[in-house]
Amino acid sequence: MIDSSQHKGSLLEVDGLSVDYGLKGVSSRAIDRISFELRAGEAVGLVGESGSGKTTTAMAIAGLLSPNARISSGEVRYRGNRLPIDHDAAMRPHRWSETSVVFQGAMNALNPVHRIVKQIAEPCMLKLGMSRGEANARAKELLELVGIPADRGAAYPHELSGGMRQRVMIAMALACRPSLIIGDEPTTALDVITQAQILKLLGELRSRLNIALILITHDLSVVAECCDRVMIMYSGRIVEDGTVAEIFAQPKHPYTRLLIESIPNPASGKKIIRPIPGDPPNLVNRPSGCAFHPRCPSAMGICATELPSLDKFGQGRVACHLHRSSQHDKVAAHA
Amino acid sequence: MSKSTIRYSGRTRARAIKTFLGQFLGYGGAQLGLLCLVFFLVTAAMPNILVGPLQTAINATGDFLAPPSGQHLLGTDEVGRDVLNLVVHGARISLTIALLATVISLVVGTTVGMTAGYFGRWVDVWLMRLTDFFFVMPSFVLALVITPVVLEVMGRGREILGFRPSLFVILVVIGMTSWAFVARVVRSQTLSLKERTFVDRARVAGSSNFSIMVRHILPNLVPQIAANGALVVAGAIYVETSLSFLGLGDPLQPSWGTLLSLAQRAGAASAGAWWYLGAPGVCVLTVSLSFVLIGNALDDTFNPRRRVIP
Amino acid sequence: MSRRIGRILLRAVITLVMVAILNFGLFRVIPGDPASLLLGGARTSVTDEQIEAQRQNWGLDRPLFPDQALDYLSATLQGDLGYSFKFRGRHVADLILERLPATIVLVGLAQFIAILCGVMLGVYAGWRRGGAVDHAATGVSLALYSTPSFWLGMLLVVIFSTALGWLPGYGAYSPGANVGSLDLALDYLRHLALPVTAVALGLIGQYVVVARAAMSDVVTEDYMVTARAKGLTGGQMLMRHAFRNAMLPVVTLITLNLGYVVAGAITVEAVFAWPGIGGLTVEALNARDYPVLQGIFLLLGVSIVMANLIADLAYGLLDPRVRQ
Ligand SMILES: Nc1ncnc2c1ncn2[C@@H]1O[C@H](COP(=O)(O)OP(=O)(O)OP(=O)(O)O)[C@@H](O)[C@H]1O
Ligand code: SF4
Ligand SMILES: [Mg+2]
Repeated sequence: MIDSSQHKGSLLEVDGLSVDYGLKGVSSRAIDRISFELRAGEAVGLVGESGSGKTTTAMAIAGLLSPNARISSGEVRYRGNRLPIDHDAAMRPHRWSETSVVFQGAMNALNPVHRIVKQIAEPCMLKLGMSRGEANARAKELLELVGIPADRGAAYPHELSGGMRQRVMIAMALACRPSLIIGDEPTTALDVITQAQILKLLGELRSRLNIALILITHDLSVVAECCDRVMIMYSGRIVEDGTVAEIFAQPKHPYTRLLIESIPNPASGKKIIRPIPGDPPNLVNRPSGCAFHPRCPSAMGICATELPSLDKFGQGRVACHLHRSSQHDKVAAHA
Repeated sequence: MSKSTIRYSGRTRARAIKTFLGQFLGYGGAQLGLLCLVFFLVTAAMPNILVGPLQTAINATGDFLAPPSGQHLLGTDEVGRDVLNLVVHGARISLTIALLATVISLVVGTTVGMTAGYFGRWVDVWLMRLTDFFFVMPSFVLALVITPVVLEVMGRGREILGFRPSLFVILVVIGMTSWAFVARVVRSQTLSLKERTFVDRARVAGSSNFSIMVRHILPNLVPQIAANGALVVAGAIYVETSLSFLGLGDPLQPSWGTLLSLAQRAGAASAGAWWYLGAPGVCVLTVSLSFVLIGNALDDTFNPRRRVIP
Repeated sequence: MSRRIGRILLRAVITLVMVAILNFGLFRVIPGDPASLLLGGARTSVTDEQIEAQRQNWGLDRPLFPDQALDYLSATLQGDLGYSFKFRGRHVADLILERLPATIVLVGLAQFIAILCGVMLGVYAGWRRGGAVDHAATGVSLALYSTPSFWLGMLLVVIFSTALGWLPGYGAYSPGANVGSLDLALDYLRHLALPVTAVALGLIGQYVVVARAAMSDVVTEDYMVTARAKGLTGGQMLMRHAFRNAMLPVVTLITLNLGYVVAGAITVEAVFAWPGIGGLTVEALNARDYPVLQGIFLLLGVSIVMANLIADLAYGLLDPRVRQ
């Protein structure tokens, strides 16, 4: 196992990362100057509505962007070294050994014609150089670890339930003992009970094995359960970043506040979910200034013209003109 | 999949057609296919104006197997007929057979598929068993034995609807044996359509089964039928050409396949008379390629199943 | 698992029964006494006693159904397909068996070459969709797909036989070749070259088109992203994850195109006077030799049903999802 304690700095540093998608000659910016750090073993949630750029951020970090994507600024450093995220072949040694991914909808993410044990054993053979026998043995161990009897390894993906398949994905993600797992809405297609079980499993395993986690979801309550920290994304930008406790207790960004208010809370007897009024922004023609201003209940004059920078605020960071600490009056230094 | 429109208003329909044409004509293949097709259809529409009446061994003017020259742009055949004349008249015959066979095939396939899908139960079971047979047995193989037997029964004398009997039989047999794929596609589409609310509404309003099928289901099947129809034409041309090449065509109304058969019998290949066998072959190739290209483009337009990523 | 195989077998049997019904029915529909047809048609001189003997022998004095139908069935199952008109008094089954090897060699070799080249090229084109190979392969394949194989054969004769004189364009052996020598084998191969090329070219187009479409669907699947995320190289992704999945639709679609194989083989044999079933078909058509034609139909029908059966079973081996 990789001992991450010897690395004093961050495991992952994302620095000013922007990604554009080209489609039929039109280019649209999916994520815009994203910056954050992740410590070894830390679990951070990435939350935002559909199209806010969560998957794009995750795929950029894993070097798995689709061919029509272009990294237009910034870089990603892993243990202090720059990752060649725009170079497929150069990323190969890094993949799965260091960063693995649990995709949404394991039905399609697993190859339908291979037995699951073979799919879990594959990276062990190819990346760790195990023999077929060793790899199969390890695959069975991993299956047991995620709560699937080893003899079910002979099954094909379609013979398993949705929850079981997602467990297989998790076992597969653990195969090469990575230091970072990215979960892209790993529980979206599952029922609530299975969802809770899978999240519990993922949370337990990663803290036991000291693996960092980036958990993508648009459900804040999921984050509350198994993350230390949460980053809120809106229209391709991080708008707030803080510990889970802090953000739930004291959300600073108006969008975060609305998100938290929209979580149904049976305890407080609040039944009516209040959706956030207005439409998600158009990426090709993003609103000027703060992209949230057309929907923001606290919008001010400056909001439509000036982009609020993501500044330190208390323990975390927030990008909103309501919360500007004085030393950051010079707007968006690294624009 | 197709939009589940119940009934278009005039303007919506015009807009839908415009969008469709824009998309369809955006494919290079569709443009090329349409261009070639229009050319051949015009040719087939007026052979007499273009090259005069069909030449026979009696009124042929040229030398035997003469290569292309100013007088005979595509050379002559073994009895001195002008190959250009033969090929232009052949266009009319080949295209008519292929198009009529396709009409038959589409009518049978749509009827069978829609009936099976709409009524379900035992109707479906038996119709699909029948369809399975025609699905498995290639049109060419069935036509190969059915055509001569039917001709034997009917006699080869008089014309039917302006066709020589063998051509008439060939086109009917091709049509009646190449509908299985259409039937399958139409059936599965019907199965999903009949669950839609507008069908229930029509049923509640007291429409008969027949009128529901014709007025409500059929219009929504048009995209599927059109895309498959183009491919059925290409298949029909292939089968007709092959059968005629084997001698089942009629020398008095020579299609391109019959011309190739005549060329083969005259030893055109070993005599090096490339123009004689080249001209009809190029025509077959061009026309069926056009239909394949158009069919693919229609399919891509109606079912954009490919993801946006190029 | 066995339920699926049972269903496949049942479907094959039903199709075979329909082939038999058609074969039986068509045969009875032809005007003229079936007995004289069985003996070689009106064009041969047979005595009334012979006809009568045949009638009783074949039970033609009995009702069409079920007696005659059952007789037909049992005779057919015993390989008795009646007698040829043209080749007087010869058994149809013998004629067909005599010609079959030449066709099997031609079609088998052409299929092998076409599947190998076509699938490989199609898979590569679909894998690198939009690349130079893809554009070239797709264009050429669509053209080949739309071209009758026999016409390709005629062109090959004009070019390689008539103009260049490299290869023979007629028959299976040169006249006067010594029997049993190595030269004979070489001579046979030289005669085989052009017809095999013609049939194979006609088929390659389809396999490329089908394999390319299948592969371009596979490359957009989520499990390919998983494979890439696992750090597999392009070659590993292709061989371990994409290929087998792409073969699924290819297996199904190949059987759909069996008509092209049969049409291609029969017409190409006619072009090259190849001494196989295709040549026999043309002779039977010209001489209106219906018993032979019926025998050929039976052969084609049974072969096609078998090919479909094999493809259905192979599909089950490739795709675990249909096995239950
Ligand atoms: N391959 C692509 N080509 C073009 N545009 C894309 C592509 N992938 C994503 N986009 C666009 O980029 C934006 C961000 O997409 P992304 O998938 O990162 O969002 P997300 O936050 O993961 O949303 P969701 O919750 O729906 O998964 C969206 O507007 C999307 O339409
Ligand atoms: S910057 Fe202005 S518009 Fe944007 S969230 Fe803050 S207050 Fe609202
Ligand atoms: Mg996403």
